[in-house]
Amino acid sequence: MKKPLFYFGLLLILPGLLFPAAAAGALTAGEIMERVDQTVSAPRDQEMHVKLVITDAKGNESHREMVMMQKGSDRRMVKFTAPPEQRGIAFLSLPGGMTYLYLPAYRQTRRIASHVRNQKFAGTDFTYEDMEARKYSADWEAKLLAEEDGLYRLELTPKEGTVSDYGRLIVEVKAGIFFPVKIEFFDKANRPRKVMVQDKLEQINGYWIAREAEMRDLQAGTSSKMFFTEVKFDSGLADEIFTERYLAR
Amino acid sequence: MKKLARQIIEKNRLVIVLFTLITLFLGFFLRDLKINPDILSYFPKNDPDVQLFNYLGEEYGGNSLAMIVLENEEIFTTETFALIDELTTRLQLEPGVAYVTSLTNTLDIKTDEYGFEIGRLVDTANLPRDPEALAILKEYTLGKEMYRNNLVTEDATATLIICRLQTNSDQVATCRRLQEIVAEVAPAMKIYYGGIPFMILDLHNMITDDLKILIPMVSLVIIFFLYLGFRKWEGVFLPLLAVAISLIWTLGVMSLLKIPLSIISNVIPVVLFAVGNAYTIHVLSRFNEARIARTNDGLATALYEVTTPVSLAGITTIAGFISFIFGSYLVMIQEFGIFAALGVLFTLFISLTLIPALLALKREEPGRKDKAQRKTENTGITGRIIPGIEKLVTKRPKTIVWVGIFLAILALTGIPRISRRINLIEYFQPQAGIRQAEAILEEKFGGSGIIQVLAEGDIQDPAVLREMEKMEEFLLAQDGVNNSQSIVNLLKELNHAMGEGKVLPDTKDKVMNVWFLLEGEEVMTQLVNAGRTEAVIQARVAGSLEAERTHELVTAINEYIAGVDPELVKFSQTGMPVIYRNLDRSILRSQFQSLIFAVFLVFIIMLFLLGSLAGGLLGLIPILFTLALIFGFMGYAGIPLDIATVLVASVTIGIGIDYSIHFLSRYRQELAEARAQNLPLETAVRATLNTTGRAILINVFTVAFGFLVLIFSQLLPIQRFGVLVFVTMLASGFSAIILLPAVLLSSGARFHLRPVACRKAGIKKVK
Repeated sequence: MKKPLFYFGLLLILPGLLFPAAAAGALTAGEIMERVDQTVSAPRDQEMHVKLVITDAKGNESHREMVMMQKGSDRRMVKFTAPPEQRGIAFLSLPGGMTYLYLPAYRQTRRIASHVRNQKFAGTDFTYEDMEARKYSADWEAKLLAEEDGLYRLELTPKEGTVSDYGRLIVEVKAGIFFPVKIEFFDKANRPRKVMVQDKLEQINGYWIAREAEMRDLQAGTSSKMFFTEVKFDSGLADEIFTERYLAR
Repeated sequence: MKKLARQIIEKNRLVIVLFTLITLFLGFFLRDLKINPDILSYFPKNDPDVQLFNYLGEEYGGNSLAMIVLENEEIFTTETFALIDELTTRLQLEPGVAYVTSLTNTLDIKTDEYGFEIGRLVDTANLPRDPEALAILKEYTLGKEMYRNNLVTEDATATLIICRLQTNSDQVATCRRLQEIVAEVAPAMKIYYGGIPFMILDLHNMITDDLKILIPMVSLVIIFFLYLGFRKWEGVFLPLLAVAISLIWTLGVMSLLKIPLSIISNVIPVVLFAVGNAYTIHVLSRFNEARIARTNDGLATALYEVTTPVSLAGITTIAGFISFIFGSYLVMIQEFGIFAALGVLFTLFISLTLIPALLALKREEPGRKDKAQRKTENTGITGRIIPGIEKLVTKRPKTIVWVGIFLAILALTGIPRISRRINLIEYFQPQAGIRQAEAILEEKFGGSGIIQVLAEGDIQDPAVLREMEKMEEFLLAQDGVNNSQSIVNLLKELNHAMGEGKVLPDTKDKVMNVWFLLEGEEVMTQLVNAGRTEAVIQARVAGSLEAERTHELVTAINEYIAGVDPELVKFSQTGMPVIYRNLDRSILRSQFQSLIFAVFLVFIIMLFLLGSLAGGLLGLIPILFTLALIFGFMGYAGIPLDIATVLVASVTIGIGIDYSIHFLSRYRQELAEARAQNLPLETAVRATLNTTGRAILINVFTVAFGFLVLIFSQLLPIQRFGVLVFVTMLASGFSAIILLPAVLLSSGARFHLRPVACRKAGIKKVK
């Protein structure tokens, strides 16, 4: 279950209205999660600016900015633009779990790998697992707990053979557009571990997107917030963006 | 005062009810009395080294490393790794644990020709199974300095799991749960628990056990000697009652003030039992004296008359304890001084109020007492010893003085041999489990102590990093220092990963680039601050470092620091060696200060009491002789100065001076009588020995053997304290009844003491 890094959009950007609300009549929990999954691979490509605010346990904030481009679900380029000391640092993820890192001070590209799912991505509270393009309906057993105020509340537990750092998830999905707005992560001792909230939902080019996403680590007391701006969908990103050569540019 | 005495006698029932209520009230709080065995929490908050130590503990964690060693024939097996992983996960979840470091979760940077990987040593979800993969893992792990003899031994038979405990948590409770988890997850493995948190857990258990064992034992010893001395149950029961009540009061007050028992104040019960019974005995004796009629008037007079001498005896003892409040480095020694003094004060107070009130309940005819008293004087141990002493002192006073001088000089030659023990591990008996664990930690993993160097400067500046690198190299070159950890190694690994070799990046841009890859890694919070203006170098240090070596190490590091350009980077060190060094220094200083204080106090008291310089100097003779013996004994018997034995000198001065006071006071009365009848000095000495001398002897035995009970403590410093007080109580008692009269007799008129008629003396005959 090794997946490339940095599948930002997967939880965050979901096209709505492709699957009309009419279908939501008497869906099972599994069907709801399938709908959520289906929205993931919908855009052909996407490009956006991401502003990251990381708050440590003592309340110190650090800021980062990056440009993220993605084609399909398995090619992605992330370039940091701020702060100045990180400008130019870039990651390229390609199919087959290949990830390349470019460090401008070294003028060098190196292949990097990680098999540790619970490792934090770029100092945020999002782990590689959180960023993975996982198919919830395939890997997790879903149970519908409640349906109220236009929200499905589902409990997800890993299916036999699913490798996860979490023991249980509680997902809230906005009915109609099948957009997950809140995920509570529980560790294997069933204690609340993290909470992710997606906020400021907006529709762009027919796709729904949350302008803000926040992940809070309840045990470490840290949090990371992402703000998405200049979002473009299906703008026809060139294949040459997703090459090693483009990393250094 | 006399009115007050009368009130106590007349309203005795009210006094008894009042004391019962106070005792019930304070006794109620006893159950809330806590034990705090954490020696680190008693370091003074105003010591800059302690401040830095605490600062690093709070900001970076790692002052409290609970270390768990797992032994197995082979660590590199799938099962062992699965076990380490399960333990790591379970321990990490435990409240009070800040971070766990083990083979399965430590940050690992792997580099090969294609690229690199920042991750963990193994994929815990997919552990290597076939022998070949395990062999590769083993070779890789043992090839890295950051693992070899740090997390796993070279021979791959033992691995270390380090739990960093949160600073403000109940570490005793956390350690207990850690042990439970390990026992549950790895029941078949050989496990060792080491590091300060586990030492503290053991100390906690030992203090609890000690209290349960030592209090009954000291009670039995006291009962035995009191009965031997008095052959009357009243003389046994009432002193014990006074002590028991004052103990309840003292511990009740501690509990009310939320001051926990420490490994030192743990001995307060024994101290009170051993010391406190004397006051009641004095009161009892006075009340039982034949010429006092058991009327309210008679009893009030008796109480009034006995108050001054008993109070004086108490005050000198209190002064001995109070002397620790000044100049003690460890707060727990100050606490011991304060509450031991308070306990003595309570005992004194109870002996002069409740005990007379109880005695007033029972009126007896004076005649019967007289007979009983006389009988006592002719029997018991004193009956056999005193005549011998009497003969010796009167026949050969000069010989005694010369032997005394010789012994004192001989003892003084032992002083340079006195060693010092400051190390926490040396509080435990050699067979204690924790000592084995510490020995294994030291032998296999470089020790459980920590040494920390804080670097202040621009941590991302390669010049600063190079200074840190050199500092680390310097530390590791020191004998007894191992396994350093800092940001430097991680940056070197990443620079290597970027193809520039295992050296520090040569530009700040490169440092910042690779730094990015480490952001958010938990280990970073233990190494640098968020602003990147501070970094910590941490190394492990052998737990068994000698005091001298500790001083050398601290000095060497300080000298090295002095040679670094402070404009570039400012280094400062802290950690166990510095703290131990300060403790060691403070023990010497505290010994010196409390000794001076106590000797001075004794001199002043004797001066006022006897009204002459000669008296003051005479009073000092038994004390100075005893002090010489204490230190000589420590030197030749190999008893080191430590946090408990440092207390002995002042304690024994405080208690031992009573004997000189009693002896000299009585001697002056007898001298007056002898002069009146034109009898020689010798007569006065004989008379004093036969009255007060006996009382002193009984008290010496009671106190000495009371303290000797401490050899059954599980804590070595407390055992040594017990032995030392035992020896010195005998020395101060016997020097008061042998050396002192010998000096009086052989000096003749030189030490001129004014004879004093019985009633005018501050000290009355008290047996």
